[in-house]
Amino acid sequence: MESLTFNIDNGYLEGLVRGFKCGILKRDDYTNLVQCETLEDLKLHLQSTDYSNFLANEPSPLQVSTIDDKLKEKMVIEFQHMRNHAVEPLSTFLDYITYSYMIDNIILLITGTLHQRSISELITKCHPLGSFEQMEAIHVASTPAELYNAVLVDTPLAPYFIDCISEQDLDEMNIEIIRNTLYKAYIEDFYKFCEETGGATADVMCEALSFEADRRAFIITINSFGTELTKDDRAKLYPRCGRLHPDGLAALARADDYEQVRAVSEYYAEYKLLFEGSGTNPGEKTLEDKFFEYEVKLMVNGFMQQFHYGVFYAYVKLKEQECRNIIWIAECVAQQHRTKIDSYIPIF
Amino acid sequence: MGSLFRSEEMSLCQLFLQSEAAYACVSELGELGVVQFRDLNPDVNAFQRKFVNEVRRCAEMERKLRFLEKEIKKDEIPTLDAGDNPDAPAPREMIDLEATFEKLENEMKEVNANAEALKRNFLELTELKHILRKTQNFFEEEEHSIVDDAQHALGVDDSRPIASQAQPLQLGFVAGVILRERIPAFERMLWRVCRGNVFLKQAEIESPLEDPVTGDQVNKSVFIIFFQGDQLKSRVKKICEGFRATLYPCPETPAERREMAIGVMTRIEDLNTVLGQTQDHRHRVLVAAAKNITVWFIKVRKIKAIYHTLNLFNLDVTSKCLIAECWAPVVELDKIQLGLRRGTERSGSSVPSVLNRMETSEEPPTYFKTNKFTSAFQAIINAYGMANYREVNPAPYAIITFPFLFSVMFGDAGHGLIMFLFGLWMVVREKQLLTVKDAGEIWDTFFGGRYIILLMGLFSIYSGLLYNDAFSKSFNIFGSSWRVTDDFPIYGPNKSTIISHIQLSPNSTAFQGDVYPFGLDPVWQLSGNKIAYTNSYKMKLSIILGVSQMLFGVILSTFNHRYFKNTLNLFCEFLPQVLFLLCMFGYLVMLVFYKWIYFSAIERNSNCAPSLLIGLINMFLFTYPKAPCSSHTFYPGQQAVQTLLVVMAVLCLPWMLLVKPFILRWQAQRKIGGSMHHRSTRQVPKVTNINGDADDAAEEVVHHDDVDIIHIHKEKEEEFQFGEVMIHSAIHTIEYCLGTISHTASYLRLWALSLAHAQLSEVLWTMLFRIGLSMNGYHGSIIIAGVFFAWACCTIGILLLMEGLSAFLHTLRLHWVEFQSKFYTGAGYAFQAFSFAQIMEFKTDD
Repeated sequence: MESLTFNIDNGYLEGLVRGFKCGILKRDDYTNLVQCETLEDLKLHLQSTDYSNFLANEPSPLQVSTIDDKLKEKMVIEFQHMRNHAVEPLSTFLDYITYSYMIDNIILLITGTLHQRSISELITKCHPLGSFEQMEAIHVASTPAELYNAVLVDTPLAPYFIDCISEQDLDEMNIEIIRNTLYKAYIEDFYKFCEETGGATADVMCEALSFEADRRAFIITINSFGTELTKDDRAKLYPRCGRLHPDGLAALARADDYEQVRAVSEYYAEYKLLFEGSGTNPGEKTLEDKFFEYEVKLMVNGFMQQFHYGVFYAYVKLKEQECRNIIWIAECVAQQHRTKIDSYIPIF
Repeated sequence: MGSLFRSEEMSLCQLFLQSEAAYACVSELGELGVVQFRDLNPDVNAFQRKFVNEVRRCAEMERKLRFLEKEIKKDEIPTLDAGDNPDAPAPREMIDLEATFEKLENEMKEVNANAEALKRNFLELTELKHILRKTQNFFEEEEHSIVDDAQHALGVDDSRPIASQAQPLQLGFVAGVILRERIPAFERMLWRVCRGNVFLKQAEIESPLEDPVTGDQVNKSVFIIFFQGDQLKSRVKKICEGFRATLYPCPETPAERREMAIGVMTRIEDLNTVLGQTQDHRHRVLVAAAKNITVWFIKVRKIKAIYHTLNLFNLDVTSKCLIAECWAPVVELDKIQLGLRRGTERSGSSVPSVLNRMETSEEPPTYFKTNKFTSAFQAIINAYGMANYREVNPAPYAIITFPFLFSVMFGDAGHGLIMFLFGLWMVVREKQLLTVKDAGEIWDTFFGGRYIILLMGLFSIYSGLLYNDAFSKSFNIFGSSWRVTDDFPIYGPNKSTIISHIQLSPNSTAFQGDVYPFGLDPVWQLSGNKIAYTNSYKMKLSIILGVSQMLFGVILSTFNHRYFKNTLNLFCEFLPQVLFLLCMFGYLVMLVFYKWIYFSAIERNSNCAPSLLIGLINMFLFTYPKAPCSSHTFYPGQQAVQTLLVVMAVLCLPWMLLVKPFILRWQAQRKIGGSMHHRSTRQVPKVTNINGDADDAAEEVVHHDDVDIIHIHKEKEEEFQFGEVMIHSAIHTIEYCLGTISHTASYLRLWALSLAHAQLSEVLWTMLFRIGLSMNGYHGSIIIAGVFFAWACCTIGILLLMEGLSAFLHTLRLHWVEFQSKFYTGAGYAFQAFSFAQIMEFKTDD
């Protein structure tokens, strides 16, 4: 039934996003990009891809940051175009995608103000997808409660923030806790929304969000070793919609070192593979990269099904990965540091 | 015109260009636009090619030009497009150009930066002016309330000294300007953060202000916030900063404010004069640039195109000359030689450039030299598929058949005349209309096909006259050969009532016996059996036209077979095909003519004439019944002739299917035997090559490679797969045989659309226009004007546009499917010349 009516509202946008997806750089493009000697070469090669003239009006010499801005700008323009043409419930779905960028922006701004950086300097670093009206006034708040009352209460993030109000003041540790609590609430809410939407959207998105939740749980656990975060507090930060929930999360909550985390992953076939393939030695991929790789695989698979919203999420994630790849290569080229240039994550 | 029958003969050429002359030569070739360069280093990345730096410099120059163009557009200065076409400048001129652009860009940037700073200053001052003006009101209101408050307080408690009373009233305030759309959120946040302890007044600035960076007009509002205490002050300031509000110092006493306002006004005036001067300077610079910008664009694009082309070339070992490979039409080779010589002379090089023709087994590109008349027809053919190299080109035949078949469906002299006049207008005003750019896709399509429209209109007038049909009315030019006589079927059975539907019969005495000299007798327009009469005529006509066109197509295939020296196809494809077609539908056409000539209403009873359709069916069933008179034979001995024809047609099937594959297999088997012997002898020279000395070796290796290529090529031919050939032949046979039948039936659309068109135009006349014509009195004249308007709109919209498009599409189909499938492969690739003219056109499209 869904496939009958899907195209009435969303056919154009799905077609559009699939078209955009075809513009994502292929393996051949990356092999060419890696061979570039200078950023000018990079620009020349990107001209022959779907990016075409996105750098044409930039005077040389090019900066990596300019490339980054332009990459983001292109993605944001595409996303905004889709958002402007979307109707319910797709528009809500697309809004959900932007919430994670909003969380990142808030955290960035709070951390920045904590370190006495000027707000105008920080604003340029914010991701344009996650900007909102009250964002720039965020530095009036000095406690989480103020933050909530003054800034966030009007934003869609308000319900996620309820759990953090009780924190006393804003220091590094608390900011990190706020970030993770926000993410937890966000992912769980998004998960619920996708479940309610049902159909192929639920199939694809629940898988993607479970992975996202589990990845966060793993990372939180690993990063918490050697900090003053108590195990109870830690357990509160785990998003409870992944495959790890509930047994895996309980085990993670008890973990004391990396080996124990690894032992938890043994019970889950797909995560076991990720942990086995990773390492910190040269030549080995880091766990983070492994997670990214797995995410890319999931997202590419998202395009296999039709008539669902997952493609929009997948496209944004893939595009983000592509930006990371290009920036990585550009940085390596700019700094003449070619030994690690190959550690990008090809998408197709 | 003669060249349109087949595509141009092409030849693969190798060019040896001296490095210093290469640029000038390529520039000359670009002006000529008759060569297609091949990429000789397809494996090399875009940024690893030889002239990548020059290309990059061109891109940079283009960027600067685009920047200038944007600035020129912003100031709405008209650019001068004289339509002149400067030559590509010499490479050394590139530096001058670069310097000019650099200078212009810097100047422009400087002016812009100045202007921006001035504008920002101006904006700030204007905002301040507004603040001073608006806050004046605030303070006045405030003063009253404060004084009231103070008096009120004094009234309540007299014992307190006034000084202490004034203390808590020491309110701080900030004033500023903010974007109007941010006010609600700003107000809400102020309220929340300061817990309602501030007082905000705001007023809109009526006139929009100009943003100095983007130049957009923005609406802003003045606000003033009163608060108490330093803590609140810092918070308020932070919020203001967060909402990008600009704060201005505002004096507290009215006198100071007035003074400041006067100061601001004088400064604004000063700034205005400075701003005016900056604008004038900017305008002067841009006007100077606008004069040349089109020429610069062309120059830079030409340079860029030349270096792009040079990047396709191979570098000689000694790097003294560049080697290029290109396809060029043989007839243009002299021109190319001349161009190369000119280029060499221009560059001052002493060594001439060499052009070598190469032998190749590769399929050359297809190139048609068209003019403005033939290009539209060629485009119709190319839209189906680019012709194979030197294949028979259907376009010259389509010039006549296309408008003709269209007119058979569109046959109406009135509509044809309108279409013809429209086409004529476009053709006559061609030059003026060509200069109109960006008129929309629909107009471009019509204008591109102006000659087709002209011819279609002309042919439609002709067939409309044949059908004697103009806006569904007939002309009685030569005088009808029917007279109203006693037995004219206008009267009912008892000769007193007049019946509305006249049934004409040539057997009655109403028919005078002589035939109307041209086209249809106009009397048929009045008769009730007109459709029955024209249907029979048009149906037969469609079959005759269809079979002749298909037969023509099959005959055209012989030109292909003979040109490509394919005798096998001539005997195993063409012959059975033409026999098959003639035995079935050629015979039918013959019977049609026979029936027309032999049977007439008066001499032989045409009511009892044999039916063509039943006759054709019976021919294949081998039944010849005697019962109804319409299934009698046409002529004695018909049974024997028809049996023979059917047997021949059936025999054509195995002929088409089997003969060719088996002959090919026999040839292949014979060849394998021969080449086994051939290959063993070739081993010997290879060995000697390896033993040869080093200098020779390089040359020999090339040679050896060549041999190998030929060898591989031969082997490819040798790989003969009988199954594949058989399947191919089966598909071909089935397609042709079924196609012959279905295509003949498909030509009946000529009749169907013609009928539909005639009926539709008749409906429009009787349902619309006749209402107006049958009105009496003065009001009738008004109504007839309105009705005519409606009728004319419907005629143009429905009959000319929609019906015309549908007839056009059906004609297109008849050509692509029914006609071209008989001989046209259309699997070639187009010749894409390196031509400046095309590059410029494409760029302006962007």
